[in-house]
Amino acid sequence: MAGVLASPNLPLHPPVRKSAPGRRAIPWVPIVLITIALLYLALFLFVPLAAVFYEALRKGATVYWAAISEPDAISAIKLTFIAALIAVPLNLVFGVAAAWAIAKFDFRGKSLLITLIDLPFSVSPVISGLIYVLIFGLQGWLGPWLSEHDVKIIFAVPGIVLATIFVTFPFVARELIPLMQAQGREEEEAAAVLGASGWQTLWYVTLPNVKWGLLYGVILCNARAMGEFGAVSVVSGHIRGETNTLPLHVEILYNEYQFAAAFACASLLALLAVITLVIKTVVEIRYEQREKEFRT
Amino acid sequence: MTIQVLDVCKRFGTYDALSGVNLEIKPGELVALLGPSGSGKTTLLRVIAGLEKPDSGRILFNDEDTTETRVQEREVGFVFQHYALFRHMSIFENVAFGLRVRPRALRPSEKEINRRVHDLLKLVQIDWLSDRYPHQLSGGQRQRIALARALAIEPKVLLLDEPFGALDAKVRKELRRWLRRLHDEINLTSVFVTHDQEEALEVADRVVVVNNGKIEQVGTPDEVYDHPATPFVYQFLGNVNLFEGRVHNGVADVGGGRILTPEHHGVADTAATAYVRPHDIDIASAAGSDMVEATLNHATRIGSVVRLELSRKDNGALVEVELSRERFEHLNVIAGNLVYFKPRRARVFLAANQDSSAA
Amino acid sequence: MTTGIFTRPHSVLPGFNMALGFTIFYLSLIVLIPLSAAFIKTFTLTWEAFWTTVTAPRVLASYWLTLRTSLLAALINAVFGLLVAWVLVRYKFPGKRVIDALVDLPFALPTAVAGIALTAVYATNGWLGKPLAEMGVKVAFTPLGILVALTFIGLPFVVRTVQPVLEDLEKEMEEAAQSLGASQWQTFQRVIFPTVLPAVVTGFTLAFARALGEYGSVIFIAGNMPMVSEITPLIIITKLEQYDYAGATAVAVVMLVASFLLLLAINTLQWWSRKQRAQESV
Repeated sequence: MAGVLASPNLPLHPPVRKSAPGRRAIPWVPIVLITIALLYLALFLFVPLAAVFYEALRKGATVYWAAISEPDAISAIKLTFIAALIAVPLNLVFGVAAAWAIAKFDFRGKSLLITLIDLPFSVSPVISGLIYVLIFGLQGWLGPWLSEHDVKIIFAVPGIVLATIFVTFPFVARELIPLMQAQGREEEEAAAVLGASGWQTLWYVTLPNVKWGLLYGVILCNARAMGEFGAVSVVSGHIRGETNTLPLHVEILYNEYQFAAAFACASLLALLAVITLVIKTVVEIRYEQREKEFRT
Repeated sequence: MTIQVLDVCKRFGTYDALSGVNLEIKPGELVALLGPSGSGKTTLLRVIAGLEKPDSGRILFNDEDTTETRVQEREVGFVFQHYALFRHMSIFENVAFGLRVRPRALRPSEKEINRRVHDLLKLVQIDWLSDRYPHQLSGGQRQRIALARALAIEPKVLLLDEPFGALDAKVRKELRRWLRRLHDEINLTSVFVTHDQEEALEVADRVVVVNNGKIEQVGTPDEVYDHPATPFVYQFLGNVNLFEGRVHNGVADVGGGRILTPEHHGVADTAATAYVRPHDIDIASAAGSDMVEATLNHATRIGSVVRLELSRKDNGALVEVELSRERFEHLNVIAGNLVYFKPRRARVFLAANQDSSAA
Repeated sequence: MTTGIFTRPHSVLPGFNMALGFTIFYLSLIVLIPLSAAFIKTFTLTWEAFWTTVTAPRVLASYWLTLRTSLLAALINAVFGLLVAWVLVRYKFPGKRVIDALVDLPFALPTAVAGIALTAVYATNGWLGKPLAEMGVKVAFTPLGILVALTFIGLPFVVRTVQPVLEDLEKEMEEAAQSLGASQWQTFQRVIFPTVLPAVVTGFTLAFARALGEYGSVIFIAGNMPMVSEITPLIIITKLEQYDYAGATAVAVVMLVASFLLLLAINTLQWWSRKQRAQESV
């Protein structure tokens, strides 16, 4: 023992920082940071969300129920669903096709294509509606032809559906493209060598591997489709009972100072948003679980 | 089935992966495509499979031109380096896949599929795992499943891309021998790609040495090891000592020793290099005729052999010699002693040949 | 061998022509052709007419308003978004999962609902508007209200771009810094912050782009008074209601050009950010 202590090769300890507190001290920094973060989120998220439900139920349950079961509200809800029911599947098919072409093949102009697909994201909702008016409106390109054949697109349901398709266009594709790119092509090549056709490969090999990403994209697409306001506002005629989606109906009620009714309808949309977030979280958890399994 | 590769060229961008490759594979053979990374061996395998289309040249299966045939129709079995098992399908489903995707007319009944899959799983000794999923299996097990899946479609040829590359050494050795036994049992024409020369020499009927998109030599393991055609083949298949010198009329003078090289008997005074394996060098503690003087730098025991590093007295060049333990002890030398060595066997390449060898 | 205008794809998988064909067809039909309608319509205007329209004082005031509120909102989101991401990734506290999910609320909530909710909360008799009014700060129906709405709408962008980067940050890097004697702040300043900066900038740009075009959540809480609290999208709508299609389109084109330039900037930033992360994972 003495020999070891006497050895000149023992390392010197680095100087201890006197200011470092022991682990028992209160962690001030995390607490302060968490508080500020929560305050910020409360100011901009939690309070407004709570306000929707509060204002909706303030005048009591009867007023609430009357507001959402009133015929104009019902038809607004119906129209909202129709728009989503058409837009989401179409954009889903598009998303799968685009992701297949982009992820499984190499070709020139790929990044340009991806940028173009992202375009609707960067366009203001008002402009999204405007461009369809320019084509299908009375003074638009196809205006005269349409009125000749008595087909109404703008200020009617088809226009609303088109505008909804435009604003929700990239959602599914944006989820699938990076996901399918990250998964590579080997499984698809293996399927090809084993004799599978394109459809068989897509259905049995590719899609099951991206099912969580697909679901995620569909949920976001749907939330946006049902909640779109600006674009739909431009192409609708605000004709009560006919060309109003639920968000537009909320606006009308609000502008007529029917606040309780407006918030009642708004609360339905807020509920939809919360459900969307819940499903999204569940999907994320399942996806993380699955990834953890596969990494072993 | 006979496979013929005729003058195949393949380019990726500005990079020539294959330049004018010609090869014939006989029915029932187990052939190794051996070469360093980037030599083009995997590209060649994928071209045969139909996963890549050659820019020029043809592929013939049993004398039929299959260059334009789609991979789905080639009836080849392909085993990927990282297995490419369908991660969301059970082992059973993975192996059954090739049978399930057949068009109605050619698809076997459910009962038949069941039987075939289980037979294959028994063949690869994994029947007891048929309900598990790929991520629950070890690397070696996944590899065998990938093999079973490829065999399920009764392919005419089996192609394996670095099948044991992702496994650890012991598993690699076991699977290597298992593959050889399997091949002897089913006698299917097989081609596998590897960068491990030990693997190629141990398993294959014939070895194809590939380098820089060209074939350097084709032959049995003994042929390529004992009679390498080019310096590259010599260097790739094992350790080597180089002795620079000159050749004149069938005798090579390589600095202190002379070697008979009857294959160069017509050559007049040309620069040449002798390639000598470490275990083909005789070494003694006393001088003798034609022996080169050197100092022993160090001796390292590795398992059952002893590896010596010598420095030549005349030019200081390092020489590596391999001896059995017994012989080394008999030699009775320690670091710093003088020793004398002489190549017992060498392959001499003239200067012109050496330009074609790649670093 | 070439197939039409595309060079042969480097893959033997089937379905390329069909998938790409459908993609381009649908893209053109829904996005490209309608967008080009705006530009084509603008070409029917003479240059002078176009110029007068897009530089009218009221329009200019709206550009300035939209620009500065969007920029400021994105800045606020950059700072606080980084904070929120930090807190969510590095600390544990009750309800974290719920709060993490709620960060995406602006993505999921319809903009009109957000608009009336924010107005209700920040009006002078609202929950938060009342105490603020007592301090002399009026939020609703002023540019400040616009700022609040745009902050709401851009909230998730920075958080969601920064979170993955923070999660991937290797603990060993920080431990190395600490073992070399760096304090917590120094470690943050010199090691962590430079790594997340590209993500913060990307998130900032995304939030900024989104705020520029925002309509639904703003028009309820803004005063919509010309020259004071009127945003550019509202000007477009006003012109449409007056059947001034050409004027509306002219202003729209200005906004489109701005958003395309931003989109380009975003894509470049994301590419840069991805490159940096790839280098660092070596």
